[in-house]
Amino acid sequence: MTLILGYVATLLVTFFTYNIFVIGLNIQFGYAGILNFTVITFMAFGAYFYAVFVMPHADNSSQVFYILGLHWPWPLAMLAGIVASGALGYLVGLIALKRLRSDYLAIVTLATGTLVYGLFGNNNKLFDGWSGLFNVNQPFQSVATNHPNEFSWIFVVFSGVVMLVVWLFANRLYASPLGRSMRAIREDQDVVDSFGKNSFKVRMLAMVIGSVIVGIGGVLTIQYIGALSPAGWTTGETFVVWAALLVGGRANNLGAIVGSLLVAVIFNEATRYIPQVPSHPNLIPNLRNVIIGGLVILSIWFRPQGVVPEKKASFLEVPLVDKYAQGFPGEEPGGTLSPAASEA
Amino acid sequence: MAKSILEVKGIKLAFGGVQAIDDCSFHIEEGTITALIGPNGAGKSTMVNVISGTYRPDEGHVILDGKDVTRMPNYVRAQHGLLRTFQISREFANLTVLENLLVVRQGQVGESLFGALFRAKRWQEQTKELVAEANDILNTFGLYRLRNEYAGNLSGGQKRLVELARAVMAKPRLLLLDEPMAGVTPALIERLGHHIVELNRELGVTFVLVEHNLDVVEKICSRVVVMALGKQLADGTLAELRSNQAVIDAYLGGGARERVGS
Ligand SMILES: Nc1ncnc2c1ncn2[C@@H]1O[C@H](COP(=O)(O)OP(=O)(O)OP(=O)(O)O)[C@@H](O)[C@H]1O
Ligand SMILES: [Mg+2]
Repeated sequence: MTLILGYVATLLVTFFTYNIFVIGLNIQFGYAGILNFTVITFMAFGAYFYAVFVMPHADNSSQVFYILGLHWPWPLAMLAGIVASGALGYLVGLIALKRLRSDYLAIVTLATGTLVYGLFGNNNKLFDGWSGLFNVNQPFQSVATNHPNEFSWIFVVFSGVVMLVVWLFANRLYASPLGRSMRAIREDQDVVDSFGKNSFKVRMLAMVIGSVIVGIGGVLTIQYIGALSPAGWTTGETFVVWAALLVGGRANNLGAIVGSLLVAVIFNEATRYIPQVPSHPNLIPNLRNVIIGGLVILSIWFRPQGVVPEKKASFLEVPLVDKYAQGFPGEEPGGTLSPAASEA
Repeated sequence: MAKSILEVKGIKLAFGGVQAIDDCSFHIEEGTITALIGPNGAGKSTMVNVISGTYRPDEGHVILDGKDVTRMPNYVRAQHGLLRTFQISREFANLTVLENLLVVRQGQVGESLFGALFRAKRWQEQTKELVAEANDILNTFGLYRLRNEYAGNLSGGQKRLVELARAVMAKPRLLLLDEPMAGVTPALIERLGHHIVELNRELGVTFVLVEHNLDVVEKICSRVVVMALGKQLADGTLAELRSNQAVIDAYLGGGARERVGS
């Protein structure tokens, strides 16, 4: 029973954190059309910076090295992690959003991801290299002392509340005039500019907001597990987040949730429990990516808008009398408004 | 003489080896509808892009309301009421027709992050007002019943109407239209012309109209600027230009001669 409860808690936390990742990516890609192909790097930034702000100074005699080690209270360290992730988003935005079209931007994000991965892995003075950080201080330790699952369930509630806040925020943003500007930029950036909006600024906003949200998910991840090494944030993980968004439905946060449930929780987790094949230890993880890849292809083929497509906007309005319900005087019925008549 | 709302002076712009605009100057008077005509490749669209700030000229100046705006980014020019449409319709395809209009109105409360998050009541109210305003405009353009369609699903002619309706929603003072009537039916050409004249009379919008159809030019434009090979060749009323030999040679040569000469 204890085991099952612990497992369910872990699944729920996974679900909530993936929701957060996918909503972050949704704001970048679904709202503003920004191709961020290194989502997971922002997760790692949030997680690592939380860790080095919350942990005490590195004890060098144990051969573990990391920067800072400020031993801040966890809420402040959490803030630091989120700011770090947002700052990386701003930096990438400065390089890529000003001049580059979306395909180049995608390449810049990929390059950033590879660079950060190589740097954080190979330099063991930053975040302890390939061995990564462990024994990272977890929140709620003083209250959750009685039972091994107590922390897990407190954390389920905590991550659930954080996810709820992110969800409400993202939905309000979507409905707002700012969200509408983002979606217009997704459709045609130059036109938005020519109507008097600084599209660079709006795209930058989407980039940073998305990075901040993914960073929040990163902090939650390391808070729950208490450890993170580069093996935990490979390019494949970015792929899972993208798959969840595309399968679930972009530009709709409900789609983001359905996608995380389908891809990140059900597929991703289920395949984890297939027994290992001793002669081929990499078979199962590889198979997992194959299955998720297949799911993406199927969904793009059969349901390109995703399981939950973007919702058509509707407004409360006072109905008008349609002046031209009967077509225009002097024009044939249907007139210029019949598609065949006015096609160029 | 009426005051110039816009002046271009000595504009030069080359794309690689192509001198698209070669020392071109003219001015536009406030409250008028001016046609910008010229053969294909004369540099009309390029000039629209230079005026609106999409391209920066190699040389020369763009002067808006007596102020040099040559180095001003396009979105700032738009904030001063200088708007343009595109030669090929560029609707926001996956936004509804109504949203296409809503998004272009400047100065909405919910456009800043702070406003979007913390002044929701205010922007919801404002959106309601804008919806009513946009519906009125759409009704005038005969697009009312299509307001909740995705703009990408409209026909070519309907998209031209959306393009103009959207520009109206943005409250322009000076509107550059790059071939708004390209590829539309004669009946729709009539209507677009009618809308342009109405906007000019009722709201005082100044128009610069790039147009190949000289019947339209004749009907609605009080003045014509002719471009050829990147230069300003002549300007005046269409009647004056008909007797201008340079214009006839450069632009109206060949088959077009009879049409204009008649
Ligand atoms: N982005 C560009 N890159 C390279 N050359 C260009 C570019 N835009 C225009 N040109 C060239 O500049 C010249 C002027 O083109 P422009 O589109 O301004 O002509 P136009 O008068 O609008 O013609 P049309 O009546 O066919 O629309 C042409 O020779 C064209 O090939
Ligand atoms: Mg042109």
